[in-house]
Amino acid sequence: MAKYETSLKLDIRQDGPVAVVHLAGSAGMNEAESMRIELEGLASSKVPMIILDLSDLGFICSLGLGAIISGHLRCRHHKGQIRLVNPQPAVRKLLETTRLTKLFPIYATVEQATLQCD
Amino acid sequence: MSTLESTAVIFSDLKAAREVEEKVLCEVAACGYSEASCFAIKLAIEESLNNAIRHGNGYDSNKRVRVGCQIDPQRVCIIVADEGDGFDPASVPDPTANENLEKPHGRGIMLMQAYMDEVHFNKKGNEVRLIKRNN
Repeated sequence: MAKYETSLKLDIRQDGPVAVVHLAGSAGMNEAESMRIELEGLASSKVPMIILDLSDLGFICSLGLGAIISGHLRCRHHKGQIRLVNPQPAVRKLLETTRLTKLFPIYATVEQATLQCD
Repeated sequence: MSTLESTAVIFSDLKAAREVEEKVLCEVAACGYSEASCFAIKLAIEESLNNAIRHGNGYDSNKRVRVGCQIDPQRVCIIVADEGDGFDPASVPDPTANENLEKPHGRGIMLMQAYMDEVHFNKKGNEVRLIKRNN
């Protein structure tokens, strides 16, 4: 059985109109609030595109999903957008179960998500 | 392997909840559940504990949450009870409806139901019983 991480690491790199946020670990009930604050703060800086690299995120709960949605709502104030990259199968299934794939486009790589930035 | 039964009582604190969660997940792992089942059980525990602490007890540090578990290689049963007023689970809007997709909250119960084999609330709505079978 996978040993789940119980911490979340956010690494934010901004390059022009794109901010790439690499999420690693677990976005569970104890981590979701700090994640929400980080994403809302980034969205408030009016960066047009936030790309969440989920490739190293092993777990997310409803509060973590809520943090992404809060960032998305803040982005919309300035017509910005959040895109998701390469979620692990269990996280992808959760995004599909909640139908959040309808809200957030999912890309295979950060490069693909960035290239299709219009 | 025999059934492990345990009960923990914690105050309304997410850190204490995480400790209980980790103990339960260790026992589940020792019983040979699949990675997908472990993910489902972790998700359901987090959602139920978060509901109990946040919505049930309203973060009131004087109110407690009781977590009961029965774990064996065939089945996991987890009971989470808070000291709040309860609620009607049927009154929670469907978070997958188009008009609710952008709401940051309201997915916890749906996720428990989607990932566990059985989810039962008591009549008052302040206790949930979660069951996952080891298929």
